[in-house]
Amino acid sequence: MVLLAKIALGFGATVVLAGAYTFREGLLRFDVDESRGQEHHVHVWVPAAIVPMAMHFVPREQMIRAGEQSAKFMPLVHAVAKELQRYPEAELVEVHDGEQYVRIRTHNGNLQIDAQEPGQKVHVSCPLATIDDVSRELAALAPAS
Amino acid sequence: MSHRTRNLFPVIAFLAAAFLYAPLNSQAQTSATQSGTSAHGERWLHVRVISTNSKGETVRVNVPLELAEKVLPAIDHDRLHNGKVRIGCMDCDGVDIRTIFEAVRSSKDGEFVTVQSNDADVSVMKKEGMLFVHVHDKNKPKHSQVEVKVPMKVVEALLSGSKDELDIVAGLHALAGQGDVELVSVKDDDNTIRVWLDSKNVTTD
Repeated sequence: MVLLAKIALGFGATVVLAGAYTFREGLLRFDVDESRGQEHHVHVWVPAAIVPMAMHFVPREQMIRAGEQSAKFMPLVHAVAKELQRYPEAELVEVHDGEQYVRIRTHNGNLQIDAQEPGQKVHVSCPLATIDDVSRELAALAPAS
Repeated sequence: MSHRTRNLFPVIAFLAAAFLYAPLNSQAQTSATQSGTSAHGERWLHVRVISTNSKGETVRVNVPLELAEKVLPAIDHDRLHNGKVRIGCMDCDGVDIRTIFEAVRSSKDGEFVTVQSNDADVSVMKKEGMLFVHVHDKNKPKHSQVEVKVPMKVVEALLSGSKDELDIVAGLHALAGQGDVELVSVKDDDNTIRVWLDSKNVTTD
């Protein structure tokens, strides 16, 4: 009985630590709520730590193709993500146009994009460090110009 | 191992998890202190457009100057390369803009251009290291006012590139060295536009 309790405790502690480590780098969040006609709700929450890891499982040729296609923009994305990490809390862009609303800001080290219009709401949040990692990896795969 | 020690395992596991989360919490606290006035004397360029039409459009853009300085060289598009914009009219119709600027820079403070007509009043003046351009358009029902204030050092930095180029990065760098200043103010029937520089990372209207 005591042995079982020890195993359960060890397993529980491991789960807690693994969870804490996985979510330590934050969450990649993508929420879409549509209330026009048929209601659609899409909520995707992914631990940011697994994104660079998952990239290693993507076939090499696919990654090279992605690197080629994004070669023009990745140095810019990388520069923006790297620099924005110095501003973890900033309102960058806010646009109100009648019932439409767009906001781009950094919050707790995440890049957050909110877009709203009647019947549709989109929220995207991604840790800047993850954007930096991904853009750096893709830029490294791009052919040298 | 005593019974009491074994009971501490969940507490230790919890503390370890809390410790791992700690950087996020401290980051949040740091972030909170950074809202409002930014740290380390950061300079922010703000753009605000408020439209008075029925839709009430509002645009607010806040850009840290240092970020713009670092990011601009990474853009290679059309006429913008390496933080410099290529323009084809630095010698417009035989008028050399660099020579005119040099003449203005080396001259004493004063009003250089004054145009007064039924349609508009225009004046260009230099005062205390600033170049002022003021346009008052009389044609619209509610007269529109355009005021531009540019530090001479910024113009000098912009023109520091090679011929037919404006060095935007050098201009931003020079701008970062300026105090709080309103650079552009436009007021007309439909819109109010403001571009200004300060140390706050939020727009306070």
